[in-house]
Amino acid sequence: MFKKGQSATAYLFLAPFLITTLVFFFYAFGRAIYYSFTDFNLFNTPHLIGLKPYVDVLGDSLFRRALANTLVFAVIVTTLQTILSLLMAVALNNKIKGMGFFRSAWYMPSITSSVVITLIFLWLFQRRGVANYVITQLQMYQPYILTVMGVLIVVQIVQVLFERSRQMPAGWFDPALAAVSALIAVAVTVVLAFMGILQARDVPPFDFQYFADVWLSIGGVQVLSIPLLVIIIQNTFTTIPTLMLFFLAGLQNIPGTLYEAADIDGATPFEKLMNVTVPMLRPVTFYVITVGLIGTMQMFDQVAVIGAAAPQSTLITLAYYVYINTFKAGTAPVNMAAAGAIILALIILVMVFIQRRFFPSEASV
Amino acid sequence: MTAVPSQRFINAGKNEQWLARRRWARAGWLYLFMIVMSFFFLGPFLMGLLSSLKDNPNEYPPRLIIPQITGQYISKAYSLGVQGGSDGWNGGLKPGRSVAFDVTVASPKDAPQTAPSIILFPYQPTSLVALARQAQAKDYTQLKTEPTGQIGDERSYHVTVTYPLLTRHTGDVISAKLGVPGSDLTAILPGGQTVDVTLDTPEAQAKQYDLNETQLVELVRSGEASNAKYYLRGPVFERTPLEVDVQRGQRIVSSTLPPSDKQNFDRSFAYRNITPGVLGYTFNNYRRAFTETTDPRTGSSLFLRWVLNTFLYAFLRVTAAIVFCSLAGYALARLSFPGKNLIFLLGVLFVQMVPSQVNLVSNYVLLKQLGLLNLWGLWFNGLVAAGGVFLMKQFFEGMPRELEESASIDGAGPFTTFWRVMLPQAGPALIALSITQFQGAWNDFFWPLVLLRNQINFVLTVGLSNFRSAYGGQGDYGLILAGAVLSAIPVIIVFVIFQRYFVDTGADSAVKG
Repeated sequence: MFKKGQSATAYLFLAPFLITTLVFFFYAFGRAIYYSFTDFNLFNTPHLIGLKPYVDVLGDSLFRRALANTLVFAVIVTTLQTILSLLMAVALNNKIKGMGFFRSAWYMPSITSSVVITLIFLWLFQRRGVANYVITQLQMYQPYILTVMGVLIVVQIVQVLFERSRQMPAGWFDPALAAVSALIAVAVTVVLAFMGILQARDVPPFDFQYFADVWLSIGGVQVLSIPLLVIIIQNTFTTIPTLMLFFLAGLQNIPGTLYEAADIDGATPFEKLMNVTVPMLRPVTFYVITVGLIGTMQMFDQVAVIGAAAPQSTLITLAYYVYINTFKAGTAPVNMAAAGAIILALIILVMVFIQRRFFPSEASV
Repeated sequence: MTAVPSQRFINAGKNEQWLARRRWARAGWLYLFMIVMSFFFLGPFLMGLLSSLKDNPNEYPPRLIIPQITGQYISKAYSLGVQGGSDGWNGGLKPGRSVAFDVTVASPKDAPQTAPSIILFPYQPTSLVALARQAQAKDYTQLKTEPTGQIGDERSYHVTVTYPLLTRHTGDVISAKLGVPGSDLTAILPGGQTVDVTLDTPEAQAKQYDLNETQLVELVRSGEASNAKYYLRGPVFERTPLEVDVQRGQRIVSSTLPPSDKQNFDRSFAYRNITPGVLGYTFNNYRRAFTETTDPRTGSSLFLRWVLNTFLYAFLRVTAAIVFCSLAGYALARLSFPGKNLIFLLGVLFVQMVPSQVNLVSNYVLLKQLGLLNLWGLWFNGLVAAGGVFLMKQFFEGMPRELEESASIDGAGPFTTFWRVMLPQAGPALIALSITQFQGAWNDFFWPLVLLRNQINFVLTVGLSNFRSAYGGQGDYGLILAGAVLSAIPVIIVFVIFQRYFVDTGADSAVKG
């Protein structure tokens, strides 16, 4: 193969990539490190002042809030999206008609921009918005819902016990019996409603204000704000479809014989999930968690779009902290912004390193 | 599991039908689950889409059946548009036309029996940028209300809005836009020619100082082409807002179009536009997204500009990715040279782990010094995506070596081999690369927000987040939702066409990688 002059050709091929990466990444990275030890404020000539910016940043209560918010957000979202996308993928992996449609439909949240979805969620979660309306409706029709569920459970138990008395291997979640139970439950509820025994409750509109300074606290420590919770829901909603596809690809590589063997052993669907699917998906899960952590630690778009619509401390993340400190009116504490960015980068790199070191797997990014 | 399940299994084996029933039921539950989840994933978008058509997307309780998508009202909006502006799609109110609108008010016995007071009211859009005050239909029209009959306690009224001409001259009618105000009124004709406007009636002269720049007007041209005179026929109104105030106890039973909103404890009903046309009725918020974001200096639509900027940016990103990512990917996959592993580890993998906020200050300062705080700077900043290089490297590594070997036997150099042999084989990977880059560019928010400092240069994501701060405070979500839907359409179209690639690429690289 080409040996003579191959290095030159290779560097020529790589030139645009190398030059832009050097200028816009490595040079920038170096400068950020440099600025984080100076008194730079965008307008002056930077002078080295040692570790002071880091001390300032760590002493800044807004930074500590941003750090806490970012970590809470990253851990909750990564956990939720990994588990839920795995379950979604398992559902999609069934060989039934119309799966192509569902796969495309479910993918919708992942193709639109975070700005669009954040705006839609802001609107949904207004004080008199659709989310509160749905909650009001659920409260109103709570008697109906409880009746349906209660009757369904009772009928299901009765049916399963009856089937078992006939020596049939009916499980508690037997689908055929559950279908019958559901029909009976709905019929009973309709009859009761028709007779006037069941009535919708008269409840005042649920008026919760989501983008207010409200916190969930543990032992007096503010852990999670409600606005951040809404963003957690939104972000999980957006990322599930992408991650679901990773899992789906992984699932399709699991040999079917494993499931057949499990079937012969009489494993329930849940046992198959825990004992076959989850272990076989370890490499993909590792990848999904890595991608998830890197992505969620950098959460920025949603906070910037919501901006002043929610109190700053409830939503601020490290990425947004860096942004607002860089563009603060007047003399911006750019050195503190740079120090914050370096800390953020270090946290992410340490997370990735720990994962690689202690949870080795054959998959790499 | 112990002996119990196998015991059950034997029993079930006797009864094939019993098992078949379970399979059917299981499929049924699965479909139900899939449908419920589809509502969950699509619901917010569909709800947003539907509500972007509403006059008031914040209405409570939110309705699912709205007049804007009801055939009856769409056809009425069309005919009102024809009456007012001789255009059933765009509507509006033009000089010399009149519009008829019917309102029926119920007055129960204990309520006052007086007629409602019906007036036109001004509409001044709140906007991202200061707009010149536009002329209002209420200052130029006459409104007549006459009772047309009574059934029970319901009385009907016929409202006629008449817009008399401001000139007595006749001739060709020309649409024009008013120019910079001076001692005389001037207008810019569709051809770009600026002409003086003559006001020949006292009614027209009374309005001389009320009319501002960029106001759309109709002129009458009379005389020879060389020394033609232009007479003001009247301004053209995009909308005709009507307000109906009823007495306590009275209510509106029906009207040609349903009222847009109610105020003052259901005594004041506003019809935002009684000459809407179909676009002005069903797609009012979409039209507003374009028309109410005009740049006062140029009169052109900022939103349209953002759409074009976004397309340009996406195009530039895709082009750069196709050329540079495949070159770099090929070099990393197939050529041997010192520092290859280092470049891959640092330039491709490490780069993807470090948050962009680290490079924020330096890149901002650098591009500012270069005077590149615009689309081009944004493009250079992300010229060669590390993710794209990774994708192409993976792809070229998967291709058979025989192709290159035969090419090298034919005496082809590395560049020829890449250009003639490898790249033509890379179709699927290039499509995948283009799609991810297009989507990435279209949805990019952080860097555009940092680097684009002028409204003219914005891309859609940054513009939309500006919508949030400009309109969100007042709760004008109609415009925000319409903008959001519009900005999502191109990616959705790309997705629908190239579904297969969306659904395959990322997943493959995860598993193979």
